[in-house]
Amino acid sequence: MEIVVPGEMILDKPIHMENTFIENEKTYAAVLGVFDREKKTLIPLEGLWYPKHGELVVGIITEERPNSYVVDLNAPYKGILIAKYVRDRLSVGDIIEATVKELDETKTVVLMREKKLYGGKIIDVKPSKVPRIIGRNNTMIKQLVEGTKSTIVVGMNGRIWIKGGDIALTTEAILRIQDEAHTSGLTDRIREMLEKSKTTKSE
Amino acid sequence: MEANKPKLIVDGKRLDGRDFDELRPIKIEAGVLKNADGSAYLEWGKNKVFAAVYGPREALPKHTADPERAVIKCRYAMAPFSSLEEHGRSGPNRRAIEISKVTKEVFENVIMGENFPGTEISIFIEVVQSDGGTRAAGITAAAVALATSGIPMRDLPFAVSAGKIGDHVVIDLNKIEDNYSDADVPIAISPRTGEILLLQMDGSLTREEFKEAVAKVKKAGQVISKIQREALKAPYEKISNKYK
Amino acid sequence: MQNINSIKSAYIKEMLNNGVRSERGLFDYRSISVSRNIIPNAEGSAEVNLGSTKVLAGVKIDIDEPMPDKPNEGNLVMSAELLPLASADYDTGPPSPEAIELARVVDRGIRAANVIDTESLFISEGKVWSVFIDIYIMNYDGNLFDASTLAAMAALTSTRMPKYEDEKVIREGKLEKLKINNIVTSCTYAKIGNRIILDPNGDEESVMDSRLTIANDETYIRAMQKGLSGSFKESEINELVDMTFEKSKDLRSIINKLSD
Repeated sequence: MEIVVPGEMILDKPIHMENTFIENEKTYAAVLGVFDREKKTLIPLEGLWYPKHGELVVGIITEERPNSYVVDLNAPYKGILIAKYVRDRLSVGDIIEATVKELDETKTVVLMREKKLYGGKIIDVKPSKVPRIIGRNNTMIKQLVEGTKSTIVVGMNGRIWIKGGDIALTTEAILRIQDEAHTSGLTDRIREMLEKSKTTKSE
Repeated sequence: MEANKPKLIVDGKRLDGRDFDELRPIKIEAGVLKNADGSAYLEWGKNKVFAAVYGPREALPKHTADPERAVIKCRYAMAPFSSLEEHGRSGPNRRAIEISKVTKEVFENVIMGENFPGTEISIFIEVVQSDGGTRAAGITAAAVALATSGIPMRDLPFAVSAGKIGDHVVIDLNKIEDNYSDADVPIAISPRTGEILLLQMDGSLTREEFKEAVAKVKKAGQVISKIQREALKAPYEKISNKYK
Repeated sequence: MQNINSIKSAYIKEMLNNGVRSERGLFDYRSISVSRNIIPNAEGSAEVNLGSTKVLAGVKIDIDEPMPDKPNEGNLVMSAELLPLASADYDTGPPSPEAIELARVVDRGIRAANVIDTESLFISEGKVWSVFIDIYIMNYDGNLFDASTLAAMAALTSTRMPKYEDEKVIREGKLEKLKINNIVTSCTYAKIGNRIILDPNGDEESVMDSRLTIANDETYIRAMQKGLSGSFKESEINELVDMTFEKSKDLRSIINKLSD
């Protein structure tokens, strides 16, 4: 595992990769991240979110305007829902999951297909850790849901909604995945953590 | 007064025992403040500095926003209890405002702000103890704080002051050296390109002395950059090692 | 944004309605760590970590003029800054009403408890020592009052008095410690709905209706401050005063056990 810092040269030739830049025919890291020389990827260790079409996000309605709702996404840009396409009436303070349509020219994240989420708790994590929380083929998230009996909606913006089940355990597990995302053997350790908690509770 | 000027060089060494090219000890810890998007704590000799970054976030007030790129804002301030002398005033004074400006200009060069138009990136540097070279300490810490925020940058700048005491060009003046030096030259450099992002001078130097100063700064920069990189990698390597 | 924090923390209200608090009891403090002399340039200093709330306090002592109404006494000057780096909700600029309230409440506790004998700060006619205490909030996660009082007290117990010789202030060499006559601490409570909790964290403060800070020493209440627009019943306040006398024993012992 190669940890690289901004400005560090990672390749002697120009290869287009996310989180890098090219100068003088060489590729440089633009963020603190893990460089995989074989796969030619730079995975950020910290995290900003760049909205992509089709991504699921979790947000909070912060403003009601005549034709739209403003949505806080815990991101550099605000989200927006166009009122006439919204299913149910929404109010300020509502938590929603929605899909990213696009980042428009005013730099607002246009959202669609919203669904209101009732009750529950929100945790904000670094967006770069979300893939690890989901896991390859959803292995990690499935394990979490089974082990805690919580309903979990993971927004690609790093905002996670949890409801029911063992919320304290779910919170602890998610924060631990965030801290150890870059290590190996994490799926097993989380499984052990969840199992251990089950046995402790039944004692 | 010349008569009261202390001897800054005794038997070929500086008052604190350093060689002319020697840096004071530097320690950096990344990610020390929980709320900030990025942060670092740095000790440089007796200097103690916190740096924090918030952003990219909505630029407020709205009229400060730039539709083409993120606006970089910077506040450098010294705590009223930071000096060995009297109690200072609260809030930035004129010197601090100037330092805030030139520090901002260092990071405007390296932050890839075109990725976040309409937003602001705020850099905060709080000096809680000072002993000369605080703007260099602040810039060096802020670079680490920015890297921990995930904001894309073309480089990790460092800064250090060079100066002239006695007849010698030296690196990294502490407070007493700064007070009695013939020149104090803070310099920030983009290590990847070797380009100069901050340059100020207080005092007088010949052209040769200036070239010597820049060369010494670049050499010292290798040590400083290494410390910055290690500070960034350390938290991750620590956790990795736990689970090897 | 206040709004976002209070929305994210809405689940706390529900939990408290059922008498449950995340990770601790209703009247438990978070972990507290106190270090002194972290700023050797200052005459005294301390850092307090109360959960994730981080506060620095620095003490500087200068020669000054006495206040016109107290010509034989030195001055105690307390100020607090909610540094913009401590929270996304803090702005740059002059001290906000919150910062001023914080400084004045901590000041009243220390002053009423006679922690420092200001008459002992008198030097000669027109010349006194001023003791400046600056509270620097480095990371906000609730309960700045208790963390700041602890930090100010700890800093004062580590403070060295400068000497005044030949019209010069001397801050080096062997210096006497500032004489501390008393220890004051504070306990801060948040009322959320009908529940009252001790030592609210940032999330809890974003949904609190009312706040009560009580500063005390072993015998006396030394300061009180009710904050925000909610209310307390008289019986609640009396119970909290009693609880404060209990809880403050641990806080005083933290100060007493400090070593450099």
